[in-house]
Amino acid sequence: MTVPTIMRQGRWTPWFYLLPALVIMFVFIVYPTFNTVYLSFLDKTSTRPASAACVPDEPCWGIFENYRYALTNPEMVIALRNNALWLLLMVPGTVIVGLLFAVLADKVPYESVAKSIIFMPMAISFIGAGIIWRFVYYIETGGGEQIGLLNAILVALGREPVAFLSNPAINNFALMVVGVWLWAGFCMTILSAALKGLPAEVLEAARVDGASEWQVFWKVMLPMIMPTIVVVTTTMVINILKIFDIVFVMTGGNYGTEVIANRMFKLIVTDTGRSMAIAVLLIVLTIPIMVFNVRRFRREEAAR
Amino acid sequence: MKGLLAKLLVASAVIALLVAACAPATPTQAPPPKTEEAAPPATEAPATEAPATEAPATEAAPAQPDMCMGAQPGDELSVMYQWSGAEEEKINAIFKPLVDACGIKIVAESTRDAAVLDARVQSSPPDLLFWPTTAPLTLYTDKLVPLDTLGANADNYASFWIDLGSVDGKWLAVPVKADIKSIIWYSPVQFEAFGYEVPTTFEELDALVEKMVADGNVPWSMGFESGAATGWTGSDFIQDILLAQQGPEYVMGIISGDIPYNDAGVVAAYETYVKWAADPKYTVGGADGTLNTPFLEAIYKVFSDPPEAMMVKQSGFAGGEIVKEYPDLEYGTDFDFFAFPGAKGMQGGADFLMAFSDKPAAKAMVAYLTGEEGATTWAQVGFDLSPNKLAEGKYTDPQLAKKAEALANAAGFTPDLGDTIPAPFGEAEWKAIIEVVQGGDIATALEAAAAAQAEALGK
Amino acid sequence: MKPLTRLNRLLSRLPTHLAVVVMCIMWLIPTLGLFITSFRPREDVRTSGWWTVFLPREQVGQVEYETYCASCHGADGKALPQADLTNPDLIARYPRSNRLLAMLRKEINGRPHLVDPPLPENPRQAQEFLSPVLTYLQTISGGHVAGHRFTLRNYADALVGYKGTQDYLTDCQQGVSSTLAKFNCDASDLLNPEGMGRAFLNTVIVTVPSTILPILFAALAAYAFAWLDFKGRQWLFAILVGLQIVPLQMTLVPIARMYVRLGIADTFLGIWLFHTGFGLPYAIYLMRNFIGSLPREIFESAYLDGANHWTAFRRLALPLAAPAIASLGIFQFLWVWNDFLVAKIFLSTHPVLTVQVTNLIDPRGSNWHILTGAAFLSFIVPMIVFFAFQRYFVRGLLAGSVKG
Repeated sequence: MTVPTIMRQGRWTPWFYLLPALVIMFVFIVYPTFNTVYLSFLDKTSTRPASAACVPDEPCWGIFENYRYALTNPEMVIALRNNALWLLLMVPGTVIVGLLFAVLADKVPYESVAKSIIFMPMAISFIGAGIIWRFVYYIETGGGEQIGLLNAILVALGREPVAFLSNPAINNFALMVVGVWLWAGFCMTILSAALKGLPAEVLEAARVDGASEWQVFWKVMLPMIMPTIVVVTTTMVINILKIFDIVFVMTGGNYGTEVIANRMFKLIVTDTGRSMAIAVLLIVLTIPIMVFNVRRFRREEAAR
Repeated sequence: MKGLLAKLLVASAVIALLVAACAPATPTQAPPPKTEEAAPPATEAPATEAPATEAPATEAAPAQPDMCMGAQPGDELSVMYQWSGAEEEKINAIFKPLVDACGIKIVAESTRDAAVLDARVQSSPPDLLFWPTTAPLTLYTDKLVPLDTLGANADNYASFWIDLGSVDGKWLAVPVKADIKSIIWYSPVQFEAFGYEVPTTFEELDALVEKMVADGNVPWSMGFESGAATGWTGSDFIQDILLAQQGPEYVMGIISGDIPYNDAGVVAAYETYVKWAADPKYTVGGADGTLNTPFLEAIYKVFSDPPEAMMVKQSGFAGGEIVKEYPDLEYGTDFDFFAFPGAKGMQGGADFLMAFSDKPAAKAMVAYLTGEEGATTWAQVGFDLSPNKLAEGKYTDPQLAKKAEALANAAGFTPDLGDTIPAPFGEAEWKAIIEVVQGGDIATALEAAAAAQAEALGK
Repeated sequence: MKPLTRLNRLLSRLPTHLAVVVMCIMWLIPTLGLFITSFRPREDVRTSGWWTVFLPREQVGQVEYETYCASCHGADGKALPQADLTNPDLIARYPRSNRLLAMLRKEINGRPHLVDPPLPENPRQAQEFLSPVLTYLQTISGGHVAGHRFTLRNYADALVGYKGTQDYLTDCQQGVSSTLAKFNCDASDLLNPEGMGRAFLNTVIVTVPSTILPILFAALAAYAFAWLDFKGRQWLFAILVGLQIVPLQMTLVPIARMYVRLGIADTFLGIWLFHTGFGLPYAIYLMRNFIGSLPREIFESAYLDGANHWTAFRRLALPLAAPAIASLGIFQFLWVWNDFLVAKIFLSTHPVLTVQVTNLIDPRGSNWHILTGAAFLSFIVPMIVFFAFQRYFVRGLLAGSVKG
């Protein structure tokens, strides 16, 4: 995109347009980010270096003491494990469900209604979604009737009710289901648009050549929408790294469901230094995506 | 591109560090996104307004009564406390007899924020302070006025209360209000149907529990679920077991950090607790029930029809909740409570009175509250319990009277562990309890909690 | 032949239809459950699943009554005048089956009670029979009236933030003073700080400026990025792309401390500024792509006609960017409306809907009836906005699917 040379301008004109936005972004994003990095090297009082919290005879990473906590504290290890689990299972899960539905909905006449339904959770807050699903997972452990849908079904089938949210063997998966429910619509929308953008002739040609629908999907569609899948995946990775509200409202991070962002939130008052180190950890994890996005953007610009 | 980004990052890093370094270091903390402590009893919104209780100006009062200790009508007495709403009304009702008699004017400030208190103490301390912990004792030792010089009567208090309020032999704080949590709720008519007796010792309790199980009844109803504070009911229960098995000094040792949280006594308490809390024969729904039941639901289960369990260990507020949920139930017949059997000290919360001034009005208030009139008024108003011995037998509310009896018989008093220990230790404690109920190894779980205790308390 | 092919086609498509419909149902049911529950009376919510609203109600305890009591007391309970079981005062003496049991164990007029068939000796088993009987007696004596299956009272409770004994409207009618301390029982209660009504207002106050401000600043900056030439244009924009995904967790504490210093902690101004700051990178990115793709000829001819940049911005870029502004507006609106973390930290004394809902998740439990109503109240506006402007929302998503 080049500016028409004919539109001459004063030297300071661009800055008149840019300044408000740049100042706000500097004050609210850039400066705090670096300040957070700085705070992560201080202890909980934000007045002494982080090494002040070291206890003799205990391991200590000096000025990086808060990072020792962020990387080795048992709770943090659980949080890191869970975030990894979310990334490994939920990102593909959401993309696959979204893609599946995009492909299937494409073939039915009531496509727009069906897509609206899948997409609807995007309109409500994560907090609201958390409540909806707390109710679905609710377990009555005494003599009363099950009022949570899933446990009512289990009991009706003659099984024991399950504590979906407190049983460490399954609660992380129960939370991920909520995540898929929330985000599948997002993936579906973008992938569906990509599918519709595919040139009809190419698909037709493949079908004429005798390819089955299955083959058309794997051999033609999938490769062609791969760039979009990558975009959706990176976005989901960012979303999942920051996953917070769902865990906060459904389990509060108890029972081994802790995640990085919730840990950061819990410590924000009681131990700012550690909390900030966790925040830094979070941004470090997003930097690869950031670099990737910037590169992709540069490539797209160059191709323009 | 890469080089550019890197340069930029470095440049802005330098700027940010400079900005950060130049920024004045403010002692003010970031506005706390408070993880709401599910404080079981009244959770009033923190109020910071300062309602001044206007005293009717006593016109031409010729001679002031002795109780005024020389305070003149119109004298101002500044007080600071955490109470608001209905609680504030009660404390005003308690102040009223003295205010009416002496014509002093009370200027009250209500805050729950320790930072606000600190700011006031550094600039212009209130004459009197009512605070729910004894933390100000150590923080402001030199600024506080010894209570015996103000006319406070130490004889009216059990010796453990005096110890709690003393620093280096100086008596600086006296409890004015106490609430006990070492309480078990049950249904007398249900006990009668099965011929159960209220236990009086821990051994009797243990035997009763076993008898109930043998009869096919579920003894306990437990519920942890309490949002971010999940686990506190377990913490209360274990503290009561500790008070029964080890005693109050032991619990104070845990709070101060002198006794590590994985000490043999704690392990023993956990063993008792887990037996009760994780088995469906002993508690409604077993471990899943204990973990997933909201703590109020746990109370209801003992009084539903037919009851799902025989007993629930919960603080005094449970009585109010039972009436709320089941308005047709009668106290004394359908529901009642007994003090945790064999507990050598009571667990609870207490508000302490401290003085920063020895002006006549302050003396008058201290003497009033620690004397007979104050104690009587306190009991009649029914603002929880007064630890003042002279309040005994003056309560009009039968539930309070019974609690007062339990407190009077107690050999000690320990604050609720969860309200007292530093947050990281508290969190680790809850975590350990949850883990153990879920079938985790007690030694491993307690080791982590003990590590958090050591770190938080610096021992 | 034709109908057959059609049938054939339908059959071959059947799995697809089935899959789509099943997925749609799975996606709808959780929300539907919440919605239905929010209209059910508390006692119903506590004791039965929301799906039972589609089933007929059963009369509890009739069978047990007929087994144990009907032989003496008669089918209608009135056979013994000295013990008329339809007398509410009599039944009110037995709020629980254990009290009933205690009475029944005693002899009445020298005769043992309940001998044919005898009640189980074990008190627990006896209670299991007596409890439904008592419920039945309460029903026929009129002390326990089965109410309507649907109610709007949950919404009243949620709106005013009521946590009393029964429900807000009933307590107000009966003047139950113990739980009404913070209430006036008139329209002013809608603004009670613990209620969803007040939270709704707070959310509107937060959301509107937080939506308009970033779009305004973004439009200006986007115009510069698209149609003005300046040094570093390319790399400044590249940084912007990177800024889009800075996790907002990175900025919470420094900004909170800055607000305390500036004296705007816990104010609406503070949260407007925060949302503006965080909305900007994406907003600029989207607007610049849109404004930049407008045909250059329009701007050139305008310039030839003597227009300057300011005119071109106001008269050309802004109106032509209306679709992008709409997309962005919806996007930012939903984002801010549904935000929890920022509001929780920067506006704790003026809770917005999401924060208020979490305050209502009474750690004490047993308030699903209010919680579901409150949650639904928080959904209404975003749902309407979403369905009314779905097109723009989707377009906004597609234009740049990255958001901090």
